[in-house]
Amino acid sequence: MSGMTANTESISKVATTKPVNPFWYKIRRNPLTLFGLFLLLLILLASIFAPLISSYDPTKINITQRFAPPSGDHWFGTDEVGRDIFTRILYGARLSLGVGVAVVFGAGLIGTVIGAISGYFGGKLDQIIMRLMDIVLAFPSLVLAMAVAATLGPNLQNAMLAIAIIKIPVYVRLARAETLALREKLFVKAAVTFGIKPWRIIARHIIPNALSPVVIQVTLDIGDAILLVATLGFLGLGAQPPTPEWGAMISIGWKYLLDYWWYPTFPGLALFLASCGFNLIGDGIRDILDPKANR
Amino acid sequence: MRQIITKRLSMLVLVLLGVTLITFFLSHVIPGDPARMMVGQRASEETLQEVRRQLGLDQPVWVQYFTYMKGLLAGDFGSSIRTQQPVVDDLIKFFPATLELALTAFIIAIVIGIPIGILSAVKKDTSWDHAGRFFSIAGISTPVFWSGLIGILVFYKFFDLLPSSGRIDLTVTPPPTITGLYLFDSLITGNWTAFGNSLWHLALPACTLAFAQLAIVTRQVRASMLEVLGQEYIRTALANGIHGPVLLFRYALRNALIPTITVVGLSFGSLLGGAVVTETIFSWPGMGKYVVESIAFLDFPAIMGFTFVISFGYVIINLLVDLTYYALDPQIKE
Repeated sequence: MSGMTANTESISKVATTKPVNPFWYKIRRNPLTLFGLFLLLLILLASIFAPLISSYDPTKINITQRFAPPSGDHWFGTDEVGRDIFTRILYGARLSLGVGVAVVFGAGLIGTVIGAISGYFGGKLDQIIMRLMDIVLAFPSLVLAMAVAATLGPNLQNAMLAIAIIKIPVYVRLARAETLALREKLFVKAAVTFGIKPWRIIARHIIPNALSPVVIQVTLDIGDAILLVATLGFLGLGAQPPTPEWGAMISIGWKYLLDYWWYPTFPGLALFLASCGFNLIGDGIRDILDPKANR
Repeated sequence: MRQIITKRLSMLVLVLLGVTLITFFLSHVIPGDPARMMVGQRASEETLQEVRRQLGLDQPVWVQYFTYMKGLLAGDFGSSIRTQQPVVDDLIKFFPATLELALTAFIIAIVIGIPIGILSAVKKDTSWDHAGRFFSIAGISTPVFWSGLIGILVFYKFFDLLPSSGRIDLTVTPPPTITGLYLFDSLITGNWTAFGNSLWHLALPACTLAFAQLAIVTRQVRASMLEVLGQEYIRTALANGIHGPVLLFRYALRNALIPTITVVGLSFGSLLGGAVVTETIFSWPGMGKYVVESIAFLDFPAIMGFTFVISFGYVIINLLVDLTYYALDPQIKE
């Protein structure tokens, strides 16, 4: 009961002081961002309700139906062992979106913690960490991801790890730069004077305040991460068949391109739409949250 | 200026050392046994030990690293397990094809990307701008392998306009090797048949690779043009009656290009990554196709050699980009 009163109170408070939420107001005025949001919602809902939308099994083999062209029965056709490609794309969305989000959040979290530590303590530790990050950044990202994934062995976990490794340095730099500024703020200095332990200051005062550029970067990175996961899958270094991962599907399907064009084309289209959705939203959020960005 | 170069060069050494460390130790944490891979499953224990000794695999890891570095400094990357050839020879053989592809894509991206970026900035918030922005987002959202496949489907299968694989027709004699770049070599030897044919083969892969790059160029040119156009000196120029192309190109573009150089230079790295995928799709006989085939064989000397060469090139490009930046922008000359 008391929770409900608090709720209504906060609602009425919002209603009186802020008639329009400026964030949503700005998003609504940006047609491209709205379109991105719409795309993502569509893909998200389709992947959640995959079993309701399609009656096919994403992995069950049905040789009699192999290479059926797109039709009323199989919207996007079937593959070399007769599996419905539309169904596989729906189930694959869970994997591709999930993996993309997980990798970027993981990299963002680890990078932020390392960056905050590096910036807060400074000195030798900072030097070593930043030089290490420079080394990782000195690699062209896909090439490093390929080398890491190839050495660790081709599977989805290793591909995720490889992509997280190439994404971490950007977050370290962002968080470190924020930390350097925050360290000079009065509330942090006050916390130091009160004898609060450095770890607690980093966790309670630095990181929460350093998050906003990290969040912008995360939204900008997810689309890229989804593409990287698929690219590694395409090169045979990510998810392995028969997993319905989009990149892995294209990796097999492109060999059949000239005879059965639908096989690699539709998973690629799904990949494009998903990545496009995240990029449009990321761009929109950056425009709104970053006053320095030109739009 | 000299101080900056010295600082950057020492950084370069450090970074390259790091690159070798990462590639070397990565290749040594793998559970697979390269000696076993070379001799095959049925070889006797003695042969295996012998090969292991030959490869230096019986030595402690740091000794192996030292030997590897000594070889590296002498230009020796070891031998490829798959082709049985020295990795250096393989890479030299495949390098020109990759360079030709990457350079062409880079030029296409710049020649088309800069005008679109300017147009987008000048016509800000019009349908031109929206189209330009959508186009550039589409560019970064399209996986290179997919745009390549669509290209093959449309231009090879449906319209039969362009070839889908290779650098040159089997019936056409390649130009004599001078630089290894077919376009350049056939041009200076006056071999127009070879020139036309290799250009025809290059068109689709280069445009595929350029598409992703184009997006990066367009976005950056648009952003820096907008920033420059909002500055006071532009307003002053406008007030003094300077407008049109003179204002855009003489006053604005020059300054807008400075940050563009950095971003475009750095994006050369993603171009190299994209080349790996493009070469695989179009059977382009370059280093990227070579490394993808090596990956399937767990051919680590080849993978590490490729990674090292590409990273080395990338670091050098970054250094050149930085130097250009310092040379162009008088404000950062400390």
